[in-house]
Amino acid sequence: MESGQHMLRTGRRGTLFEFSMALRDLVTSYHRRGLAWSLAWHDVVSRYRGSILGPFWITISMGLMVLGIGLLYAKLFGISVAEFMPYVAMGIVFFGLMAGTINEGCETFVQASSMLSQTSLPMFTFIWRTVLRNLINLAHHAVIIVAVIIFFGLWQVMDVLPAMGGLLLTIINLAWISMLVAIASARFRDIPQFVMSVMQFAIFMTPVFWKPDAFPDRHAFLTLNPFYHMLTTIRAPLLGQEADGLSYVILAIMAVLGWALTFSVFAITRRRIVHFL
Amino acid sequence: MTDVSIKVTDLTLRFPVYGVDAKSLKKNLARVTVGGRLGASTTGATEVTALSHLNLNLRAGDRLGLIGHNGSGKTTLLRALSGAYEPDEGQIEVRGRIAALLDLSLGIDPSATGVDNIRLRGRIAGMSSKEIEDKMDEIAEFSGLGPFLAMPMKTYSAGMQARLAFAVATAVEADVLLMDEWISVGDADFQKLAHRRLLNLVERAGILVLSSHDAGLLRLYCNKVMRLEGGVASEVKDIRRLDELLAAA
Ligand SMILES: Nc1ncnc2c1ncn2[C@@H]1O[C@H](COP(=O)(O)OP(=O)(O)OP(=O)(O)O)[C@@H](O)[C@H]1O
Ligand SMILES: [Mg+2]
Repeated sequence: MESGQHMLRTGRRGTLFEFSMALRDLVTSYHRRGLAWSLAWHDVVSRYRGSILGPFWITISMGLMVLGIGLLYAKLFGISVAEFMPYVAMGIVFFGLMAGTINEGCETFVQASSMLSQTSLPMFTFIWRTVLRNLINLAHHAVIIVAVIIFFGLWQVMDVLPAMGGLLLTIINLAWISMLVAIASARFRDIPQFVMSVMQFAIFMTPVFWKPDAFPDRHAFLTLNPFYHMLTTIRAPLLGQEADGLSYVILAIMAVLGWALTFSVFAITRRRIVHFL
Repeated sequence: MTDVSIKVTDLTLRFPVYGVDAKSLKKNLARVTVGGRLGASTTGATEVTALSHLNLNLRAGDRLGLIGHNGSGKTTLLRALSGAYEPDEGQIEVRGRIAALLDLSLGIDPSATGVDNIRLRGRIAGMSSKEIEDKMDEIAEFSGLGPFLAMPMKTYSAGMQARLAFAVATAVEADVLLMDEWISVGDADFQKLAHRRLLNLVERAGILVLSSHDAGLLRLYCNKVMRLEGGVASEVKDIRRLDELLAAA
């Protein structure tokens, strides 16, 4: 095993060996989780250095968008503001987490190239850095969620536990997607543009700003969209509704299959990633 | 502490180069003194063989100087020893805590203050937050940067950056110190301080591997020397035979 005191690097010794090395990388990143946290925290602090409100600027712009869209669309669609505003607020904030973690995933290894090429830091550390950074941002934007929950009295009807379950499943899924695009972007420089286009498309195809009432339950347009499941399992319980159990099942299956795929890709490309950069 | 050692067996390291047409390079493949060996892999991708079949054994107290032309593989060897590059063939085994000073800008955030950068670099080098706070005064004093530590790093000169980087890297109680070239950036005062720290490290039975084109510097710090040529290593010789190795060029 790897420790601070002993480092062993060898040439390829078959597929099984590559998987055990990939696992070692994961385990080391867990032992050094404090580093991923420090890096993520540093990213947030340094991005907003010299700014008084810091990440709350994004919160404010999101808040304005929530107000504007909440009021306007409620009028256009003929829905009450009390029903629509919290819906849109949660949609924007949680979709922000998804888009941020996936889009920034493209930069994960590219940005870390100088560290990767002269230290033996585990590669997973940088994946956690991106994920944690987006969770720190989410913690700021949570102000909006708390505001609508209090203002519209949702605390009387909401069901926190299933929402937390949905958030957890969402984060687990976002993490593998983020890692997969990180590896792909290191090798192919068109990937970040591609990912950004997909996420821009996804924000309109996912019921973030609109209600899926026009579709029958479990319509393929919704069930085939992973972001729909992520969003609905977090949002519905917070709005006092029940999310379809199928969505949780789909997220769980996606997490298992997605991580199996991503981990395999990582095991195979791990040696090369530093050379891609 | 376990015995400090570096053991490299039959190390071959190739860089795949993406996005370059191997055929267009072929006509330029006449023998050159600079660089590693260019070639095409079995899959047809361009590859640079930066190190080939390299063997190296170092024990506590060894201070190895690396010499060789530009592109002969010195930096690549140091990076491989730091654990960043995986061998294509062979094996690298390092016992002891490694501190690598290869690139001054490692983990440096130019808009953050010197103190923040000490924290960041220290975390990357494997120190805990508490260890860093405990050593902060010592690092700050050694760097000699005084009030500049409260200023953003982008206001530092190259030598000032080197001081900070060196102060942090050597604050980790490292057993194996890997250094690439740059130590000469510091001024005379700093060189003296650095010299004392390096000797201190060696007294603690550590290992130093230093790459440099400066024969004087190598004589000052090293007791052994190895020459790389197109990724192929000479034997490790005593530093007194440095001229011999240089003359072999
Ligand atoms: N990231 C890389 N991708 C492709 N080839 C590389 C890379 N880094 C180094 N090389 C190649 O590997 C060979 C060895 O390079 P290296 O940087 O180790 O040389 P060096 O001995 O440190 O040279 P110098 O004295 O100029 O610092 C060179 O031919 C170089 O072109
Ligand atoms: Mg070099």
